[in-house]
Amino acid sequence: MMEIDRADGRTPNQLRPLACSRNILHRAHGSASWSQGDTKVLAAVYGPKAGTKKNENPEKACIEVIWKPKTGQIGKLEKEYEMILKRTLQSICILTINPNTTTSVIVQVVHDDGALLTCAINAACAALVDAGIPIKHLAVAICCCLAEDGYVILDPTKLEEQQKMKGFAFLVFPNSIHSVLPEGSLLVEGEPVEHGIITSVTHGLMSVEEYLKCLERGHAASAKLSDFLRRSLKLQLPSDSSKAK
Amino acid sequence: MDARLTNAWRMTVNEKKFIETALASDLRIDGRNPLEYRKITIKFGREDGSSEVQLGQTHVMGFVTSQLVQPYRDRPNEGSLSIFTEFSPMADPSFEPGRPGESAVELGRIIDRGLRESRAVDTESLCVLAGKLVWAIRIDLHILDNGGNLVDAANIAALVALLTFRRPECTLGGEDGQQVMVHPPEVKEPLPLIVHHLPIAVTFAFFNSEHTMVVDPTHNEEAVMGGRMTVTANTNGDICAIQKAGGEGVTQSDIMRCLRLASRNAESITKKINDAVETYNTERALRKIKRHSASVAVDVSISGGDVREPENKFFVHKGISELSRDQMERLNLVSEEKCTSQSSDINGGLSSSEQGRTSCQEGNATNFLGGPSSWDPYSKGVDSDSLKVSLASLGISAPDKHKRGEQKSTQAMEDKVPEDAKPATSATDTSRTGPQMSGEKTLKDAVKPKDKRRKRASSSMNAS
Repeated sequence: MMEIDRADGRTPNQLRPLACSRNILHRAHGSASWSQGDTKVLAAVYGPKAGTKKNENPEKACIEVIWKPKTGQIGKLEKEYEMILKRTLQSICILTINPNTTTSVIVQVVHDDGALLTCAINAACAALVDAGIPIKHLAVAICCCLAEDGYVILDPTKLEEQQKMKGFAFLVFPNSIHSVLPEGSLLVEGEPVEHGIITSVTHGLMSVEEYLKCLERGHAASAKLSDFLRRSLKLQLPSDSSKAK
Repeated sequence: MDARLTNAWRMTVNEKKFIETALASDLRIDGRNPLEYRKITIKFGREDGSSEVQLGQTHVMGFVTSQLVQPYRDRPNEGSLSIFTEFSPMADPSFEPGRPGESAVELGRIIDRGLRESRAVDTESLCVLAGKLVWAIRIDLHILDNGGNLVDAANIAALVALLTFRRPECTLGGEDGQQVMVHPPEVKEPLPLIVHHLPIAVTFAFFNSEHTMVVDPTHNEEAVMGGRMTVTANTNGDICAIQKAGGEGVTQSDIMRCLRLASRNAESITKKINDAVETYNTERALRKIKRHSASVAVDVSISGGDVREPENKFFVHKGISELSRDQMERLNLVSEEKCTSQSSDINGGLSSSEQGRTSCQEGNATNFLGGPSSWDPYSKGVDSDSLKVSLASLGISAPDKHKRGEQKSTQAMEDKVPEDAKPATSATDTSRTGPQMSGEKTLKDAVKPKDKRRKRASSSMNAS
């Protein structure tokens, strides 16, 4: 297998520099910003508000996601991202604690340089923690990109997503986006919980073995990511005693 | 409908009374003078034309983009400027997503009048082909946090974004001079917009008690105020726009007083904006020169990212170059001895056993083949080299996934390694096929011209 050289000098398994900060906004109940390299996303959470939306089940809490792109109108792509985020966050939040309430998660794209959806999921998760919404476990998202010769690279930049390296123009490269893996030490049916998958979204064509390879690589990287997430969420001291509502 | 009402924030009667009583004695709840402005922080984003402004607790982001469009019929020689304001629901629990409410529209209109109708931005220079193609500048303002006085903060964000925006250069070509070619930023340096003056908006809030007026109200004061007025002025002494939409009546003398105050505040704010933009421009120029050291920063990613985690990574006047220099220095302190021992090993020729050395060699090889060169003539050449050597050695001890990458490159490079039996000779960079023994690099390499490297890197990219 050929060694893939990435434009910014990373190895195929190397992630971009991560940075996470919580409690950035004053009015929001919880806020976090997450950046992977140049991709940066800001997420804000407004804690349980009264009432659920029309079609939602009033016996459970409801999560509402609003995705704000950097420029331009809200289109189908943003709606799709909202839906993916909503389903992911619904599975990690404990929905039975505050029934008949709505928790709003607002995601603002600050800069998009590849792996945007994964950045947003991580930011939303950190913002939920900052707001104190009860959640079962954290969610860590990773993006795996499949090159034409079957080589898997992690955390692609926008250039890599579009060109797929060295401008092999005739190839349509399959790009698999892969949102993964709660971390925790519970066992579900004999397997540790972190082997499960919360969300998996793929684009493009790939064989089953390639997909499984992506899963395995993503799983390895997610362990590192969840360490980082844990550490950065722990570092902030609870100095924000009063938040203006 | 009921849910929305219950979710809206309402101020208690006690709080209202407290604010009003305090104002009667010229005290504000955040400790400012009635005529004092909050602290303004101006930051920039990764691209040209993106700004982030904090006015106290109010947080606004501005993005400027451009597009080639057909001009309006009645103005065939002028480009257009349009402002889109997004009252993001993250700013305030009462902001709803969807169509902008009346306050969002009002804000957009005030800024629009200040910029466009006062001819602050030169639209005639945006014309490419008269009657056919002009540049349309679009400003998107995102309100992230509503701490009061959104108009002023959004105005500053729009101005800063406009001043740092660069539009691509385009030339007319073709047989009849009608073909327009837009040059990407790598080919030709993009151009800044022509801004004649800076209209600064200053907002005043009036209260029901006699003649009480404050500058730059917070959102608590906005909930209590009886009326507001926004004056847009510039440093030339012009009043670009005045907006007083309803609210309680104000005497003429108070209005004149406000106008004078606005001019004074406009001067100080203009100075702040100009200083910030200056810093950004020098940083940008530096970044253009130091573009190549960007790859070094990313090599450090796994360990570096963890170290930096608590900071807010919106690059405050730091390009990637500065960050990489910081990280380089940090890592150099750690691994100085390691790298010197490594170079002496490489000097001694190849020996089969040391995994460290061979992987160090092709570690550098992989760094050089196919990637942009990360050599930078303006920083100390030795640092980046020693960094790569130390990184490659770190790469061995790092967890499994890195090792897999390294080992794969070992197999690929093994046939190339015997070529370079005498690593000392590779100090002359003319050999482009062999892996570069960066341990041998000295200041000699720092003297080499930049283009050779770039050409070699790009041609090796094409080859592979």
